[in-house]
Amino acid sequence: MLKRFLLALVLPLAMLGASPASAEVKASDVIQRAIDGFVRPAYASLHQHAEAMTTSMRALCDAPSQGALDAARAEYSDTVEAWSEAEIIGFGPIKESNRLERMLYWPDRKSIGLKQVQAALAGKDPTATDPVQLAGKSVAMQGVGALEFVLYGDGAEALASKNDPYRCAYGAAVASNIETMAADVDAAWKKPDGFAALWANPGPQNPLYRDGTEAVTELVGVFINELEMVRDVRLKGFLGGKPDADKPKLAIFWRSQNTATSLAGNLSGMDTLFQASKLGDALPEDARWMAESIHIQLTNGIATAKSVNGPIDKALADPAQRDKLDHFALITSSLTALIGTRLTAEFGLTAGFSSLDGD
Amino acid sequence: MRTPLIDRRDFLKAAGAGFIAAMAPQAWANTLGTDAVFATAFVKRDGSYGAAVLSEAGKLLHAIDLPDRGHDVTFDPVSKRSVVFARQPGTFAVVFDHQGRDRPLTIASITGRHFFGHGVFSTDGALLYATENDFDNAAGVVGVYDARAKFSRVGEFPTYGMGPHELLLLGDGRTIAVANGGIETHPDYGRAELNIATMKPSYVLVDRITGDLIEKHELPAALHQLSIRHMDACPSGTVWFGCQYRGPGTDRPLLVGRAARGKELQLLDMPQDVLSGFRNYVGSVAANPAAGTVAVSSPEGNSLAVIDAGNGRIVATRALVEVCGLAPDGSGFMATTGAGEIVEGNGTTRSEPDYVWDNHMLRIEQAA
Repeated sequence: MLKRFLLALVLPLAMLGASPASAEVKASDVIQRAIDGFVRPAYASLHQHAEAMTTSMRALCDAPSQGALDAARAEYSDTVEAWSEAEIIGFGPIKESNRLERMLYWPDRKSIGLKQVQAALAGKDPTATDPVQLAGKSVAMQGVGALEFVLYGDGAEALASKNDPYRCAYGAAVASNIETMAADVDAAWKKPDGFAALWANPGPQNPLYRDGTEAVTELVGVFINELEMVRDVRLKGFLGGKPDADKPKLAIFWRSQNTATSLAGNLSGMDTLFQASKLGDALPEDARWMAESIHIQLTNGIATAKSVNGPIDKALADPAQRDKLDHFALITSSLTALIGTRLTAEFGLTAGFSSLDGD
Repeated sequence: MRTPLIDRRDFLKAAGAGFIAAMAPQAWANTLGTDAVFATAFVKRDGSYGAAVLSEAGKLLHAIDLPDRGHDVTFDPVSKRSVVFARQPGTFAVVFDHQGRDRPLTIASITGRHFFGHGVFSTDGALLYATENDFDNAAGVVGVYDARAKFSRVGEFPTYGMGPHELLLLGDGRTIAVANGGIETHPDYGRAELNIATMKPSYVLVDRITGDLIEKHELPAALHQLSIRHMDACPSGTVWFGCQYRGPGTDRPLLVGRAARGKELQLLDMPQDVLSGFRNYVGSVAANPAAGTVAVSSPEGNSLAVIDAGNGRIVATRALVEVCGLAPDGSGFMATTGAGEIVEGNGTTRSEPDYVWDNHMLRIEQAA
């Protein structure tokens, strides 16, 4: 016990570069690697996929067919996967201009988004087909949730024919709006003097990160907050304690059958981020096993989520598949303990107050 | 909803029991000079939860176990019992005495409601008021409990806003001030915040007898993501509040403000370096009536600041890792941290590394 607390005192100094210890790891290096090795590529990938999705939506509107609809749906799923990896970085440029909520308004507990989308479709609101005007409308009408309903909700089959040009035009506008937001976030992270420079250069004059510990806390917080979010909000929102408490229609992306893709994507993003940042290198020799264990468990969680196939209501009704979701919950709990308690103790960062929302 | 919660004559009788917040500064100084204890919730390093009573020297005098993480404590000087509330979205509150004479009594939230972590007794100790979430309707309510009937729930009234957090009984013994944080949550989704793009915090005054709205104040539209969360009252009746900002981290809105009856909310201008030290998050607000000061803490920014309640100037700042709990102590403030430290008003520091002290601390006069 004593040893742990001594480490807690020494490591933050080492991470600041103030200690000449051989295991010295500078906070700014860890953050720079996280940005270059994960954040920038993740948002660049989202941008690329959103662009391809918009192109495929326009192609569908120009020449509707089952093939074109299938292609648009495939691009949509790829974009959801890219988003699921990138969304774990929920601070910085994505927080500007309500982009986070505009990109994904979820959970939509009172079906506000659904009602607004249905109203736009029913009333053929011309302003909703203009991406610029759409960006100023309700956050629930302009992101991946709205586009999912267009592509997979009631009446979506009409997109394969010329029967519902308005629905397609609205979907294309949503796709274009998503692309614009993804492009803006991508560009903002790439800017050499933008948010990335703030995060990677902690110091007394920095308005956001006054020292290395605050910069590293932001990084470690990604794992702690997102693991809690994936488990308690995303998974347990639809997976009940017992099968009769399951709520398949509360599952994220259930219409497009991307629920498991999203869960896996979140963990995949965390794994890439952890590896890229080499945060594990900052651990003392006798605690290096944690980094390996985190990687193994994240890999295990990704594989477990990906092995859940088909519509989520069918998966929940199948005991073998449902067990996998339970197992996924267990893995995320174990990772929370490992990162939220043990890893933070090694770095002298206690996370009690910074979990998901303080109070 | 509007039916009187207790008989009006009973209230008028009880109102004579004493208006603590209206005491003269000298009376406060005398009170603060006597032995007091401090109550706070905690998490132990082994992962267990509880609430503790600490001496003025920060020594652990008494502790009870809790089934999950607690938040704030309130005290009834009449029956000399404390109540600790579960952290949101918790469904329990536990009533306990400081010597362990009686077994702690657990209050369970009713179906369709959960606690937000804060509560307050009526001056006569007859009723306990708690901020609660009517989550299916996304509406804040104050639950009312009869302290003399095993804390059975006898009613509720609206907070006229979403996500109520701290509440105070003002000096008239009748008006309850509520900080409506403005954030929608639902237990189906844990602590996830569901309406950040459209949130609308408010500060309201509610008549605890009739449940009627007396005053409601909102911040300017540009600050709709500034969640009003914690408060304390000065002897003058001015309520000081602290906010948490849910907008972009690169914004630097003002975080501390004053509310006076019948007036618009007033945010306090602060030097940039002090404001930056809060990282857009004030976790606790406490007034020291004897010293004429108010302290605000930020566990996110690892800092606390003491403000002159008269002129609004910063009197002192201090860097302290994961500081949150604050209570008046002598001419200063006792502060507790998530790293297990207890810093007395005179600066003496005691460390209990096995304890993560939770967000709030309550000063309880022994003589009371």
